Amino acid sequence: MTGEEPLRLGHLYPKEMNLYGDRGNILAMVLRAQRRGIGLEVVPISMGADGADRAASCSGFFIGGGQDLDQDAVAEDLIQLKGEVLRQKVSLGAPLLAVCAGFQLLGTHYLTAAGTRIPGLGLLPLHTEASRQRLVGNLMITADPGLELQDPILIGFENHSGKTYLHEGLTPLGYVMHGQGNTGQSRQEGAWRDTVLGTYLHGPLLPKNPELCDWWLRLALGLECLPPIDDSLERSARLEAIAVAQRRDDFSRFRLLGRGLPTKRAR
Amino acid sequence: MAVGAGRLAGATSRKLRLGGGTTFPGDVARAVDPQVLGKLTSSVRGGVVLVTGTNGKTTTAALLRTLAEGQGLSVGGNPSGSNLIYGLTAAALRLADVSGKVELDWLILEVDELSAPRAVAEIRPSGLVILNAFRDQLDRSFEIDQVAQRLQEAVLGLPPGAFWVGNADDPRVASFDSGSSPRGISKILFGLNDESVGHKLLPAVVDSRSCPRCRSELEFSLVYYAHCGLYRCPHCGLRRPNPDVGADSIRMIGLDAIEMEVVGPAGWRAAISVPLGGVVNAANVAAAMAAAAAMGVDQSRAATSLGRFRPSFGRSQLASWRGASFRLMLAKNPAGLEENLTAVLTLDKSPVLAIALNDGVADGRDISWIWDVDMERLGRAPDLRVVVSGTRARELALRLGYAGVSADRITVRPLPEDALSAVSDLAQTGVPVPCLLTYTAMLAWHNLLVRSGSGAPFFQAP
Repeated sequence: MTGEEPLRLGHLYPKEMNLYGDRGNILAMVLRAQRRGIGLEVVPISMGADGADRAASCSGFFIGGGQDLDQDAVAEDLIQLKGEVLRQKVSLGAPLLAVCAGFQLLGTHYLTAAGTRIPGLGLLPLHTEASRQRLVGNLMITADPGLELQDPILIGFENHSGKTYLHEGLTPLGYVMHGQGNTGQSRQEGAWRDTVLGTYLHGPLLPKNPELCDWWLRLALGLECLPPIDDSLERSARLEAIAVAQRRDDFSRFRLLGRGLPTKRAR
Repeated sequence: MAVGAGRLAGATSRKLRLGGGTTFPGDVARAVDPQVLGKLTSSVRGGVVLVTGTNGKTTTAALLRTLAEGQGLSVGGNPSGSNLIYGLTAAALRLADVSGKVELDWLILEVDELSAPRAVAEIRPSGLVILNAFRDQLDRSFEIDQVAQRLQEAVLGLPPGAFWVGNADDPRVASFDSGSSPRGISKILFGLNDESVGHKLLPAVVDSRSCPRCRSELEFSLVYYAHCGLYRCPHCGLRRPNPDVGADSIRMIGLDAIEMEVVGPAGWRAAISVPLGGVVNAANVAAAMAAAAAMGVDQSRAATSLGRFRPSFGRSQLASWRGASFRLMLAKNPAGLEENLTAVLTLDKSPVLAIALNDGVADGRDISWIWDVDMERLGRAPDLRVVVSGTRARELALRLGYAGVSADRITVRPLPEDALSAVSDLAQTGVPVPCLLTYTAMLAWHNLLVRSGSGAPFFQAP
């Protein structure tokens, strides 16, 4: 495949949405393509109108997590200036992976604590509601069989207080084994439809879940399968994270004299 | 009554070897009398100075104590680093006599950023030092905006007549509001004034590049460390203020010492040499000198006082084990690890580096931040061997692999004793190996080194 035009990865709002090691997700895509002789060029898509043209030249997209204030600024830009081109690209089979705040932006709307309805991109039928509870910790799920992962466990870390509700007919990315997931109650985590996938798993997500990284690469390249590569570093980091998630999902029980974690937070 | 109960709990905790008794007595005393902290600290003669910020609290508080002691003042603090409200209470209890009086000239306490507003409300201190606001323990402090908000609350809560010392180079800290003028709060800014120790590029992932006033993107003409440097906002015109106390003519002697001149208001000037490494520590010295000046400490003695300074627990502290020597450096968040890596790669000669990453509650369970640190610099240092350790050693190995460090240069040893052995096998005689450690990894490594007879114990009654 060498010598061809490099694959273009559209990284949405790399400055505003980069809170939880999202650079690791980009690195995983670049390196796992490179190790198969495929060049992958990262195209930053920032605020402003020229981002739409840049997006039009990309074969796949990624959007990460951000702070509340940044997320609000991004939401408007995303809907007004990038919404149309993303919708079109995705309908033609380009993958879009969204993590944390990025996942929330894919939905129809976000309901703040004050009851204000902030519109989202509407690419997936879901919405998010602000809550007083913070869902923080290691998160381990079994992925939906439709994704056809050989090892269906996905592992990462979650930190959100928005609760995300999937509307009728939308498939969760998977079911929670350890941790909280979309609402802390439904045992559902994330959501996916065709080539659009959103999740609360960060940590970052792709280095420790290489099969999901390859899912994105396959769709971006339009290939049925990719040649296997040596996964030993990824696999041992993955096993370490799985062991940690299994050991520690209820540490808070041991805290003394009410010195709890602060929970007051907007989103 | 609260004092007695707290002191008894502390003695018991140390006897039973439950720990150093650095917070438990505080729990007990506060349960008996919730106002105990304010009552105890109100008896300190000169007053209380609180030191807060994400990185550098322990070192800066120790520098400030050294400066005050050099003037012959009696000074106390919480050098063990227990800096939540319970730890502060325990420290005050330890320093109090049986009648509950703290017979000291000054009490210098380091305070956790999120606990700062509460500590200010209870203690009503004479001064507050705010070093910086970086991302730290994302699973606990959540977002940097909220940390900055707490620090601003702390400034607004200061009692009339108090002073606060802030970092001119950190855009958020420098623009905190002192509150309405009749309260008579004085604001003193410190900063670095030597462009030769700065660089032109911001790190790849920066915590805070938006203007604290209008949220436009700031422009940096020079970066000293993390998002601290010479900045201006192209939109609203906010710019880095000139510091009242500035460090210039900064010279690094490896990681062993920093020489600099500190220049203060009214033209005082002091030539300082401290056994600390890295640019951030030059800023910490300037912060301590600014606070000391506000406390009325004579600057002419500063050079002599700081010449006797010894680094705190795990802050560039040296230790030896089986013939190898180690330099223990705390690196608990992206800014800390980034800055320590810069110091090690530019100033140090060791052919080996150790990094230990734990994900305990005290470290922050979310380790995603290691992916934001520019480890690619290690990929470009082809002769450096790296020993990785800790409960997340394998994630660290993956991060280094993705940064271009070849597998034959990485030694994975999750357990601290195995890591120490691996480091001592690779170390060069007489060249201390820099060890960058998260908080609980530091405790573990330190305990092993102490058990083998080198270095002073951490839990030490003053």
